[in-house]
Amino acid sequence: MIVRALLTTWMAVIIIAAFLYAEAAQGFPGETSRILFFHVPQAWIATLAFLISMIASVLYLAKRNVKADYIAQSAAELGFLFCVLATVTGSIFAKATWGSFWNWDPRQTSIVILLMIYGAYFALRSAVPDTERKRVFAAAYSILAFAAVPFLVFVVPRITSSLHPENTMNPASPGMDPKTLKVFLGSLFAYTGLFVWMLRLKIRILTLEGWRVRDLFR
Amino acid sequence: MHQTKNGRQTTQTRPSTYLNEAVAIWLRDLRSEFRTRYALNAILMFAVTTLIAVSFSIGSFRIEEAERPFLYAVLLWIILTFSALSGLARSFVKEEEAGTMDILKLSARPQAVFLGKLLFNLTLLGAVELIIVPSFILLMAYQINFPGFFIAMIISGGIGLAAGTTIIAAMISRASARGALFSALSFPLLLPLMITAIKGCERAAVGIGTAGWPEVKMAVAYVIVMVIMSLFLFPLVWEE
Amino acid sequence: MFTLNVSGIGKHYGGALLFKDVSFQLNQGDVFAIVGWNGSGKSTLLRIIAGLVRPSAGQIEMFCNGETIPKDSRRQFIGMVAPALSLYDELTGLENMEFFCRVRGVACNRNSCLEIIDGVGLAEHATKICGDYSSGMKQRLKLAQALLHKPPLLLLDEPGCNLDSKGIKVVEGIISKQRQLGVTVIASNEKREADYADKAINLSE
Repeated sequence: MIVRALLTTWMAVIIIAAFLYAEAAQGFPGETSRILFFHVPQAWIATLAFLISMIASVLYLAKRNVKADYIAQSAAELGFLFCVLATVTGSIFAKATWGSFWNWDPRQTSIVILLMIYGAYFALRSAVPDTERKRVFAAAYSILAFAAVPFLVFVVPRITSSLHPENTMNPASPGMDPKTLKVFLGSLFAYTGLFVWMLRLKIRILTLEGWRVRDLFR
Repeated sequence: MHQTKNGRQTTQTRPSTYLNEAVAIWLRDLRSEFRTRYALNAILMFAVTTLIAVSFSIGSFRIEEAERPFLYAVLLWIILTFSALSGLARSFVKEEEAGTMDILKLSARPQAVFLGKLLFNLTLLGAVELIIVPSFILLMAYQINFPGFFIAMIISGGIGLAAGTTIIAAMISRASARGALFSALSFPLLLPLMITAIKGCERAAVGIGTAGWPEVKMAVAYVIVMVIMSLFLFPLVWEE
Repeated sequence: MFTLNVSGIGKHYGGALLFKDVSFQLNQGDVFAIVGWNGSGKSTLLRIIAGLVRPSAGQIEMFCNGETIPKDSRRQFIGMVAPALSLYDELTGLENMEFFCRVRGVACNRNSCLEIIDGVGLAEHATKICGDYSSGMKQRLKLAQALLHKPPLLLLDEPGCNLDSKGIKVVEGIISKQRQLGVTVIASNEKREADYADKAINLSE
């Protein structure tokens, strides 16, 4: 209860701050830079979720601990959600800034590929009827997909040049002013908190469902 | 009677390596394929049909000279990739449908099965490339300035197609909607290979920027990574 | 000296319980029968022992001369015949046998394979395509395949299925020979087949 209240408040604060406290960045038309307070954390969470899912998959294959599979599955579902959000907010930004919703620049391409991997992962899970095999196959696929990612990172940027505002909005570079930085980091924190809270909830649901089956043997 | 040593019997057998067993599986698959042409027909039919469709609608004149190296590479690899997706799952699906999957599980070691099936897929794809690639070049009047690099790209790319999909084929052999699922699962994995191969063929056609054969090296790296990962994961996928 | 130890095996499919708490131990020379109504899980239990299906509970242990046999190495100790286990229809009987020899790493040549084929009464049909075999002939070939590597553990799921009286004699011969080689487990509905065994378990109880 408390966590939920805290998260809600924090997220509300961030949303307000994104529009009223921070200033619109230079070099962007109008207020469009504000969307990046939401878009970047979403993309970040989508990638983080993928990483968590992959690590949980390795753990599952190593120990056959069902909880690891719950984590893998939940992280993948949430990752997919945030991936869709990131794609949508990114397209809105693209339209406002560069005139078209989709340009196939490397970042956009990568997020679509991540979407495809997630989609394939869920298709696999639903197509295999036997529970044990489903878990093993999904875990194996998640690891294979992860192995393909470094190649994508190498290969995709060479195809098109990037339109992404790397240098101006990158928090690591000194180009961001302190107010913006504060809101950005706050947003990152809020989204991560949201993700963790939703993840734990999903894992709990799966665990309870799993107990129902185990009770057959009692 | 029976003794175990490193997992193999030492009495009444000659020392058997994964390779011997894999070759046995490969040759058996080839023999069955020769008698039924179950997989080859499917792949070849797809490839030839697509090739004819492309050649007919685009011809050798409709695309400008300057665009040809790149666009022809794209078309060629679309034909090869989708042909692969239409047929490389067959060796596992056939075992499942014929009911021979279980007896193979009881008799053969998983790594040997993987290598054997990989060899079979390589043979299949090799046959398709041998027929389709020269036909494509002829029909589309594809000018290739650096044939050595081009051939290396075709070969390494083809091996990559097989390497990336063989373990997926094993996963979907018992699933529902196999064809669509196989394509959906394989495509994200094959994408980096496809992009590399297209770029490589484009460069080979143009003839410049090929020093160091970067794309071929990338494809080879891809093959190595995929095969090693598959060798680790396959036993888990294969056994209950 | 081969020993099979089955302890606490249970299996459920999608929330429905098939059987639980199945335990027995078999030693060299034992012939064991698994009986029960249709759908009681006889074939499933056999498949669990063979390693084709993972049990929901319990474990299977195998020992040879006192040494534990790890899961990965069990395949050379097990021979199995079952209706669901098919051989390759596009190959001839002999080609099938040669394939399984090679894939199991068993020293083989044409003659040793022909001998085994002759042992099950298929000598004249060895070079015919398996797709053309009758169901009884296929069953005999399956028996031949299971004996290729002289396995200590023989798993027979309805071994007399599709066989004529001569074929049944072949099965009886195999079972009596197997008493010297190791253990036999038969899953069957037929009283005649269950009677080959010294001990039995009824999955319907």
